Amino acid sequence: MRVPISWLREYVDLPRDAHEIADRLAMLGFPVEEIAERPTISGVVVGKIVTIEKHPNADRLQVCMVDAGGETPLQIATAATNVAVDQVIPVATIGARLPHLTIEPRKMRGVESQGMMCSAEELALPAEWFEDGIMQLDATTPLGINVVDLFGLDDAVLDVEVTSNRVDAMSVIGLARELAASYGAPLRLPSFENPGTAEEPAGAAPRVTIESPDCTRFVAQRFDGVRVGDAPVWMRIRLALAGQRPISNLVDISNYVMLETAQPLHFYDASRIQDAHLIARDAREGETLVTLDEVERTLTPLALVIADAAGALGLAGLMGGAASEVRAGTTAIVLEAANFEGVRVRRMSMQIGLRSEASSRHEKTLAPALTEIGAARAAQLLVQLGARAYRPRAFGADLVPAPAIELPVRDVERLLGLKLDATRISQHLERLGCTVTPGEHTLAVTPPAWRRDLVIAADLIEEVARVEGYDTIAAIEPSVPSHDIPSAQYDLETKLAATLASLGYHEILTYSLQGQSVLDKVARAGITPSHDRVEVRNPLSEDQRYLRWALAPGMLEYAARIDAPVRFFEIGHVFARERSVGEISMLTFGFAVEPNDEPAWRDTHFLRLKGDCEALLRAVCGITVEATRDTRAGLHPGKTAVMMHDGREVANFGKIDPRVAHSFGVRLPVYVCNIFLEHIPEYRTPRYHPPSKFPSTARDLALVINLDVTAEQVSSVTRRAIGALCLGVRAFDEYRGPQVGEERKSLAIRATIGRYDATITDEEADAAIGRAIDALREELGATIRT
Amino acid sequence: MSELATKLDDLYARFERAITTADDERALDAARVAFLGRSGEVTAVRRGIGQLPPAERPDAGKVINAAVERMEAALAGAVARIENRAFDTELAQSIDVTFPAIAAPTGSIHPVRRVLQDAVAYFERHGFATVLGMEIEPDYYTFDALNIPATHPAREGFDSFFISDSLLLRPHTSPMQIRTMQAHKPPIAVVAPGKCYRRDAVDARHLFQFHQIEGLLVAEGIHFGHLKGMLTGLCRELFGADQRVRFRPSFFPFTEPSAEVDTTCPKCKGGTAACNMCGGSGWIELGGAGMVHPNVLHEVGYDTGIYTGWAFGFGIERLALTRYDIDDIRRFVDCDPDFLRQLA
Ligand SMILES: [Zn+2]
Repeated sequence: MRVPISWLREYVDLPRDAHEIADRLAMLGFPVEEIAERPTISGVVVGKIVTIEKHPNADRLQVCMVDAGGETPLQIATAATNVAVDQVIPVATIGARLPHLTIEPRKMRGVESQGMMCSAEELALPAEWFEDGIMQLDATTPLGINVVDLFGLDDAVLDVEVTSNRVDAMSVIGLARELAASYGAPLRLPSFENPGTAEEPAGAAPRVTIESPDCTRFVAQRFDGVRVGDAPVWMRIRLALAGQRPISNLVDISNYVMLETAQPLHFYDASRIQDAHLIARDAREGETLVTLDEVERTLTPLALVIADAAGALGLAGLMGGAASEVRAGTTAIVLEAANFEGVRVRRMSMQIGLRSEASSRHEKTLAPALTEIGAARAAQLLVQLGARAYRPRAFGADLVPAPAIELPVRDVERLLGLKLDATRISQHLERLGCTVTPGEHTLAVTPPAWRRDLVIAADLIEEVARVEGYDTIAAIEPSVPSHDIPSAQYDLETKLAATLASLGYHEILTYSLQGQSVLDKVARAGITPSHDRVEVRNPLSEDQRYLRWALAPGMLEYAARIDAPVRFFEIGHVFARERSVGEISMLTFGFAVEPNDEPAWRDTHFLRLKGDCEALLRAVCGITVEATRDTRAGLHPGKTAVMMHDGREVANFGKIDPRVAHSFGVRLPVYVCNIFLEHIPEYRTPRYHPPSKFPSTARDLALVINLDVTAEQVSSVTRRAIGALCLGVRAFDEYRGPQVGEERKSLAIRATIGRYDATITDEEADAAIGRAIDALREELGATIRT
Repeated sequence: MSELATKLDDLYARFERAITTADDERALDAARVAFLGRSGEVTAVRRGIGQLPPAERPDAGKVINAAVERMEAALAGAVARIENRAFDTELAQSIDVTFPAIAAPTGSIHPVRRVLQDAVAYFERHGFATVLGMEIEPDYYTFDALNIPATHPAREGFDSFFISDSLLLRPHTSPMQIRTMQAHKPPIAVVAPGKCYRRDAVDARHLFQFHQIEGLLVAEGIHFGHLKGMLTGLCRELFGADQRVRFRPSFFPFTEPSAEVDTTCPKCKGGTAACNMCGGSGWIELGGAGMVHPNVLHEVGYDTGIYTGWAFGFGIERLALTRYDIDDIRRFVDCDPDFLRQLA
């Protein structure tokens, strides 16, 4: 909301500096988005045109004598065409400073000119919002006084943000009250007495029938003797500074009162309301209404309208209708100061796609008591313009004062950590308009009628803290009591991330929401998803419609984008829908890498991936989980392994299926490992096994075996055959080729043999190896290569 | 001069020549073997003691030993000379130490996680536990239990991504307040970092997914001053010891009193109009905080007569943008290798 500081000053004395005021507002909970400084203007006074003569040497110029309150009138030549004798106008005298010029004595075509009469633009007001030519001031304005001071033209305008609970403060008075409370300065409020007391002529008394519970209260008031014209200059200038275009005196008064009190108003041409009878009701399906902006709108029952017997006259709290609008010939009007349910106004406004200053207040639900206040202020201003005010008539719920809130005095300190005595607490609350009745240990606090947000003691404590100042509360480190809430899940993620970083992987973040294009890429590679995707109902765009079901697709897109060797990981949630929506924590790491020149039966990258996977799991669970061959959608069918523990899949890993990589546009081979965080076994502290004090011996075996026999099978048979003497078996080389034939492969293993109680003898080692060879031959059909 | 002395002098002269001309350890060793070895020349001299004139014999052993000592000293000198020559060669090497390093093959933790970890570490040091939650939450945990009424605009599907009528992607980490308080009796001291989602169009300042860190402390005797204390400490931990922190009144349905928390701009240290980090205000907005609303405590069955508490929720991306002076929030999801390397 744009608030001219000059307007605030009408109600409260404030410091000169706009930044100081802005800071104070921020510390009261009203951040200032912008401080619009006004240009420096000086030396402009009120003058009156005494005489006008034609310029002797120039047809387009006139020479005016202007009484600017000095001893002698000033002679001023002007090219303006709207000047006339007796006009009261702003005059920039010699030495005056205007936004773009300084006034000096000069000759205009030979005629001495001792100043300049000013247009709105020369006073830094929007030219298109005021009359062309010289600005016209009210005839009663005292001559010679300073125009800048009179209208507050040099005070900055603040753009103030008001939180949704404080719609009462979407008003100059509301903010002035906050500042007055904070500065401890008196608040000068206008009277809220309604001058209308007369009874209307027969049949002219406005009646309101409220058919919708969303219209909570409706104050209607009739005025006669209205003459539509310009509003007073001071009001137009104030509105202009507040960013509101002056339109006509009636429209301006309704805007002025709304900006001043927060209560939106509407004026109807009384002659256009059938039987002076208004009805607040749901719109009928298909009912049409031309609103003030000349747009014909077709309504649904979601709209709340103010109507007469003939049909809708306006959208409640949002915008009036064109048909009942006040116009040039209007002489009698009916004022509406109504209260509506905020949700209803908001939903109507969204459905219609229309917002207004009025709806921006109504949608936050104003306090019903503001209707009286708004009507009273409008009535005073209308009466000042010569209108005759009849008595306001209120319909709908009666105004009931809010119940008093019990505020235990010690709760202020208990909640804030700031010790304040009851007197000071009361003072703060009273400054904000509360009524406080002190009790023994509590205060009975009745919130002001214009606020709906003060309901419980904590609400009042916030008020006390705001007025006292949040910055007066000392910052203290609490001593946190002990508790037994575990951090295991977070610790696991932290350790996984740290380990992967130490293994040379970079953590990345990809979007959890994906579009159809990702699904298409997967489908193009021939993969049918095992579960339904979880779909977002209201995505912002099509490429955010689905929740990711795995991390790998995002990483493939990343690898395609980087298009260079890269090592990456991500920890995040993935989603699938079975009977219900499922969400699990997942880690995927991997790399895009230049391919090795290797035979089809060997893949060093795979083994490196496996090594990193083993290292990672060892770091977080202390054990090595065994990998077995398997297949997984998206992974190369011959280069996929899984790690199971306790019947649950801890990890799967392998090379990305080349068809998938191609579909994602990844040029380099990609290897990934997917880890299911919930399946990672709990950390088991490893135990130290000291090596034997006696030397052991290592024996290498070169075996020839069938292609389908695995290194793990060979190792385990060897281990079992050697028995207790076996200190370790490890395959270290594989070979396939003509020497071993098409159906067979050669595998080299090294067995370490030893004892813990003595040095192993050659005879013992030979016997052990003999057992191994026999077992390998019998169980796996292995032959020894020599 | 005696015959033995003449012989030994001659022998020494030849030995010295041999070791002086020796170029490496092998040549030296050959000289040693030839003269001092088991069947070397010195041994031959010792064997010839019997042939010496009788007057020389009694002292011959002593004289020979003295000569051997002298030869061994000369040999040690020669060994040292050759060793030093090797050192000198190596020591003569000189390189351009400013030549670019060969990078270690290290990985990195994402800057968002790093900031998150630093924040969490601060709270854990003060006795807080860290809990994680789900990203899809029922509206009960996202709104109702947090005192956000059914008619609140945030619930109408303009701000949050909905999965069904009652399930949505959490727009804040605050559901973890409810889940933690339901699962545990007070006292509660937790932080809950995690991913959140809001329907924001992606631009330099917004992503539709982001991270928050939620904090919740509920116990006897907890007040707003403690909130200020902890969050001031957090800002100093993350941005430096001279950080100032400002608490401004604000409004959130689940806290009362509520506050917006700002910290001094670490880039311009308090406001220059041209600062692109704070826009010249001198302050960085970190997020919301406040005393847990009594309705929230009632909802989880806590006795508000005994317990008070505070909560806060900060955006982690915002902390990271500020800390690393990053110009565009989209860099966090672009994850350009150079970006990750620079911040690693
Ligand atoms: Zn700055």
